[in-house]
Amino acid sequence: MSMINGNEESYRPALAAVTSVLQENARIRTLGITFRLDAERKSFSFNPGQFVMITLPGIGEAPFSMCSSPKEKGHFELSIRNLGNVTDGMFRLRKGDVVGVRGPYGHGYPVQEMKGRDIVLVAGGIGFPPLASVVEHVIANRADYGKVWVLYGVKDYDDVIYRQRMKRWSKAKDLEVRMALETPCSKWKGCVGVVTKLFNKLKIDAGNTVGLSCGPPIMLKFVTLGFEKLGIRDGDIFISLERLMQCGIGKCGHCNIGNKYVCTDGPVFRYTDIKNMAEEVW
Amino acid sequence: MGGPISSKYYLISKKDLQRLLDSLSKKMPLFAPVKHGKDFNFKRLESGDKLDIAGYTNTEYPPRGMFLPEGEAVLEYNKGKFSENFFKGKAAVFGIRPCDVHALLVLDRVMLGHDHFESHYKRRRENTLVFPLVCGTPGENCFCDSMLTRNLVESFDLLFTDIGHHYHVEPGSKAGLEIIAANKGLFQESVHKAAIVEVPCKKKLDTANLPGILAKARASGVWDEVAKQCVSCASCTFSCPTCYCFSLVHDSGIADPEHVKVIRELDYCMLLRYSRVAGGLVFREPRKERVQQFFYHKLAYGPENEGRFHCVGCGRCITECMAHIDITDVIGRIRDEHDKRK
Ligand SMILES: Cc1cc2nc3c(=O)[nH]c(=O)nc-3n(C[C@H](O)[C@H](O)[C@H](O)COP(=O)(O)OP(=O)(O)OC[C@H]3O[C@@H](n4cnc5c(N)ncnc54)[C@H](O)[C@@H]3O)c2cc1C
Ligand code: SF4
Ligand code: SF4
Ligand code: FES
Repeated sequence: MSMINGNEESYRPALAAVTSVLQENARIRTLGITFRLDAERKSFSFNPGQFVMITLPGIGEAPFSMCSSPKEKGHFELSIRNLGNVTDGMFRLRKGDVVGVRGPYGHGYPVQEMKGRDIVLVAGGIGFPPLASVVEHVIANRADYGKVWVLYGVKDYDDVIYRQRMKRWSKAKDLEVRMALETPCSKWKGCVGVVTKLFNKLKIDAGNTVGLSCGPPIMLKFVTLGFEKLGIRDGDIFISLERLMQCGIGKCGHCNIGNKYVCTDGPVFRYTDIKNMAEEVW
Repeated sequence: MGGPISSKYYLISKKDLQRLLDSLSKKMPLFAPVKHGKDFNFKRLESGDKLDIAGYTNTEYPPRGMFLPEGEAVLEYNKGKFSENFFKGKAAVFGIRPCDVHALLVLDRVMLGHDHFESHYKRRRENTLVFPLVCGTPGENCFCDSMLTRNLVESFDLLFTDIGHHYHVEPGSKAGLEIIAANKGLFQESVHKAAIVEVPCKKKLDTANLPGILAKARASGVWDEVAKQCVSCASCTFSCPTCYCFSLVHDSGIADPEHVKVIRELDYCMLLRYSRVAGGLVFREPRKERVQQFFYHKLAYGPENEGRFHCVGCGRCITECMAHIDITDVIGRIRDEHDKRK
């Protein structure tokens, strides 16, 4: 991995342009972003699960996880949920508009360690982006990984994102996408309920399976319990956590949980590393 | 800055110290304790300003601001370009107490350690001369004896000790020796180490196995009691020399969106906003959890992450707390509970 501007300038972002805008649902958009300078396009690479800080001058800065394949050099995609100042500013961006980007930061999902293993990914709501990047990575390196289940939990039918992608993924070998809707809907014939309901029909080889998740805290708690029930070892469970972030480099203090920092120790944690922490994780 | 650099010591008369400070303040911003009302705080001494530290124990607020200035613009945006403008030149601080230098050593480990360093802190820290003043008589709320922060063996340029009509001076760096060489007429050599009477601290905080005890004390009722007293004013975090948490705020450029400054502002874990994420969820909503964060960061996570307590025993949080919460008393109660359980 290579970081833009490295250590000498803690906060200076590189300039990057918006290359595509895709409306996923009423409140979520996916932006394609490409660095302006050749050198930055060449040097920027990331692991699925890592994040960047996006700066909109005069508005602010916020962390977002890449949702695209790490194979594309110098280009990445972010799915943004419109929630506040920065995210609203990002909703107003058009093709060609310029943003500041620094990173990538943090530790992602252990795609090296996962080689040869089966994978259960559980995404809730706007927790999908980093896991989507994992799926893209797995598909690009299909022979390296075993069977894959993508379990996606979402409130309403209209909230569903990545419709195109999920269709494309479903065509990949040994990869199953399953979705659970919390609110029943005439357009939906599949599973209704919380995402962990999808665990009931899962037949996995627990000893050879890693469980990955990202989503709201309460979902993460129940997914982790569900993983344990399925027989997945605590050391094979990886969870992406969210906290308020200001610096992204372990200095501002905001993202701490117990003695850990989500920005530098995470955002993806091995469950055994956070299971017995002084502070409640969920 | 390192350990002992010279076997020689020096003496400087009080009159000549004023001359030295005058000459330094012409070359660089020089900060020293200045009395305002009943309290001392670090202020810039202009050339000709008299150093007046009669009755000085320590400053009301910590010296952090000279290294992590409140409101520093850490990033600028100008017509499509981002730039970081760094502190240039030199600065000096006289009269900082040893405990507060220990606090800088904590900040060093946070700001310059781990995977990244904070580029602005780094520039200021590297270019600020540190002239600490040894403490003879501690303040009412000090417990540096307990935290082993009373003495300094590293991280100073010139260490001053008041020995009556003279100050004893110990060089601690090349830069310190150079100042002595450039002002030869003001210093006389001495073979003696500084000898002063050290009045012991009244307050004590027993640190033996403290992170271990705290790890088991999460559910203690003491935290509920403290949380009941605390009013979340954040004075403790504001006054603590090792507290460094900050937020980055865009100076919104209403007048001119093409010129924006990103300001680093101190932030405080005692406040609700500190852990509030978009969507409105606050991760440390109960006051008890915020109180615990303060004590655990100082006395458990600090040693775990940086190999040092993030408390140097300066006593400021005790002095400033309107609810009369006293860290030595709180930890004493936690320890008592632990000992009783054994
Ligand atoms: C590692 C990581 C990865 C992430 N990845 C993604 C991603 O891929 N996609 C994505 O959409 N999001 C992601 N997020 C979340 C994203 O960073 C936040 O949604 C974003 O920071 C919101 O910024 P904002 O300026 O838009 O919101 P803000 O304006 O900061 O806040 C928005 C809302 O939060 C609440 N709020 C915040 N502060 C206050 C306050 N002081 N008082 C009252 N209410 C307050 C309010 O409800 C407000 O409307 C990620 C977060 C992390 C930590
Ligand atoms: S916790 Fe209190 S006594 Fe300890 S260094 Fe901070 S302000 Fe001083
Ligand atoms: S100074 Fe006292 S009352 Fe104020 S936040 Fe700190 S502990 Fe609470
Ligand atoms: S975001 Fe600043 S310490 Fe993690």
